[in-house]
Amino acid sequence: MTETATGTTTATRIGLATEGLTKSFGGVRAVDGASVQFHHGKVNALIGPNGSGKTTFFNCVTGMIKPDSGTATYLGQDITGKASHRIARAGIGRSFQLCRVFPRMTVMENMLVAVRSASLRHLVAPARSSAEVERARELLTRVGIDHLENSEARDISYGQQKLLELAGVLMADPETIMLDEPAGGVNPALIDRIASLVRDLNAEGKTFIVVEHNMDLVMSLSDHVVVFDRGRQICEGPPSVVQNDPRVLEAYLGI
Amino acid sequence: MRSASDTTTATSTGRGGMLLKGAGLLVLAALVLAFPAMAPDPFILSVGVVIMSYAVLATSWNFVGGFTGYISLGHASYSGLGAYATALLVIHTGINPWVAMLLGGLVVAALAVPIGIASLRVRGASFVIVSIAMVLILLLVFQSWGEVTGGSNGLRVPRPFGPDVLRPEQHERFFYLHAALLAVALLAWWAIDRSRFGTGLKAIREDEDKAQSLGVPTFSYKLTAFVVSAFFTALGGGLYALWFGFLDPIFQFSILVGSYMVLMSLLGGIRSLFGPFLGAVIVGYAVEFFKNQYGDTQFHLVAMGLLLGIVVLFMPDGIIPAVSSLLRRFRPEAASIREVSQADLAEQRRRTSSPSTSGTARVASPADGESTGDADDGSPDRLSEGVQR
Repeated sequence: MTETATGTTTATRIGLATEGLTKSFGGVRAVDGASVQFHHGKVNALIGPNGSGKTTFFNCVTGMIKPDSGTATYLGQDITGKASHRIARAGIGRSFQLCRVFPRMTVMENMLVAVRSASLRHLVAPARSSAEVERARELLTRVGIDHLENSEARDISYGQQKLLELAGVLMADPETIMLDEPAGGVNPALIDRIASLVRDLNAEGKTFIVVEHNMDLVMSLSDHVVVFDRGRQICEGPPSVVQNDPRVLEAYLGI
Repeated sequence: MRSASDTTTATSTGRGGMLLKGAGLLVLAALVLAFPAMAPDPFILSVGVVIMSYAVLATSWNFVGGFTGYISLGHASYSGLGAYATALLVIHTGINPWVAMLLGGLVVAALAVPIGIASLRVRGASFVIVSIAMVLILLLVFQSWGEVTGGSNGLRVPRPFGPDVLRPEQHERFFYLHAALLAVALLAWWAIDRSRFGTGLKAIREDEDKAQSLGVPTFSYKLTAFVVSAFFTALGGGLYALWFGFLDPIFQFSILVGSYMVLMSLLGGIRSLFGPFLGAVIVGYAVEFFKNQYGDTQFHLVAMGLLLGIVVLFMPDGIIPAVSSLLRRFRPEAASIREVSQADLAEQRRRTSSPSTSGTARVASPADGESTGDADDGSPDRLSEGVQR
């Protein structure tokens, strides 16, 4: 595994950040002037009630949809409205809410999709070059599905597909990994496994931004929590602080 | 390159598989090469040329349809443009017809860039409609622009071989020329298929947004495949023009021709290298058979429509995948997910425990072998060894 130096600085470094990000669908302001800062090198959680705009926010900053206004920056570099493959190559990888893999491709082929270089030599090279396949196997072993490499992705279980999606994102070697509900629809044993993967990868220097509804997981995993309601940030801080914030309780419970 | 741990289930691509594929390829090549000698009369030989022409067009179509999943019903645009470009170049400049054909291909490839930029912005049904609209526009243009294209009176294309080359020999030469072009197109498809670029294209077919989120520049990928496809389709059109010697817009820019390319590819299998070729042999033969039997009626269209319905309903992946999955059923080892029994597992652990230390600690734990055998059970050598046997 490549070890990305994290350094031991105590000062918080801002990785992904947005300023007044807004996106409307018809009359609905899904994201409504969201100004958020995520801590680089940490595990960040993005939580909020259903329909608070978390996924739309994800889609806006990863280039899946264009925001109406506002800016998004990554490590100070403007990434607002850039195409998603450019954002991917800037170092941000993501998973999707309802796990998306390439169903009619084998597990190994799924792994080889990620593009890290736009050079022509890279593109005409055989997809199954030994170095790439070796790397892919390492990652598949790491998430624990290396024995399935020749199975079609549609033939493996949902939990295994989730692991495959994560491994596929890791193939692109992103610095920041955005996970949209990694624990959604998977069994408790697998949740633990995903959590420990996130912890290990974070220890190796990867930044995480995780949308999640499983509060136990969020509170145990994250260093920094951002709470969304009605398309904007209502509160942020370490899990212990956020947990007891009255605004959070109000947003979730409506009291 | 295959490494030691590659033995996991990859039986179909092992050395035996390679040998089998090589032998199959040789037989196929021999059959194609021997066809003109085996053809009983010039008519059958000319049917062979038509089928080879269809094979070139369908294989060329498959650069877009097979890899990216964008179904173009209007690929006759490019074969028609290639045919007219070749013919007009020969007529007006008098250059060597083969050079004209190549230039025609390049001209069409250049035209395909703006067309692709415009039409690849939309997906699914919209893309299909745009592709059909393209053919209809070209049909009108080529019919109306009489002083250049000959309009509905048609355009006579000078023959590349002199008048002393008799018709049967013309057919034979063009059969081989088409076969050579088909070979080049197949080679290009194969090269893309195994490249990183090809993997990206297939990912676009499966889930375009997801592919892009993994860093694949989807638009340039699609456009490149589209231009390559248009180039080969135009070469196929040009070669056909030189053989047939006469062009009429109504046949060149026909939705039917484009539909045939789709039908042939779907029938054979768009994910397979030889799928469109196989489809062309079947559909091409059937079309000629029906035309021959029932004359110039619309009966062959009904038959083709029925065939398309049957393919889509019962063999959505085409013949080649259907047959190979049937064959796979008789090969116990080729199942994609292999279950390892408790006994197997214990045996492997026992054996691996002596050279490597990793297995020993867990030998006693039977719970490991459950369906979560993929979980964190240590040594990666375990599974590869298990499937080797």
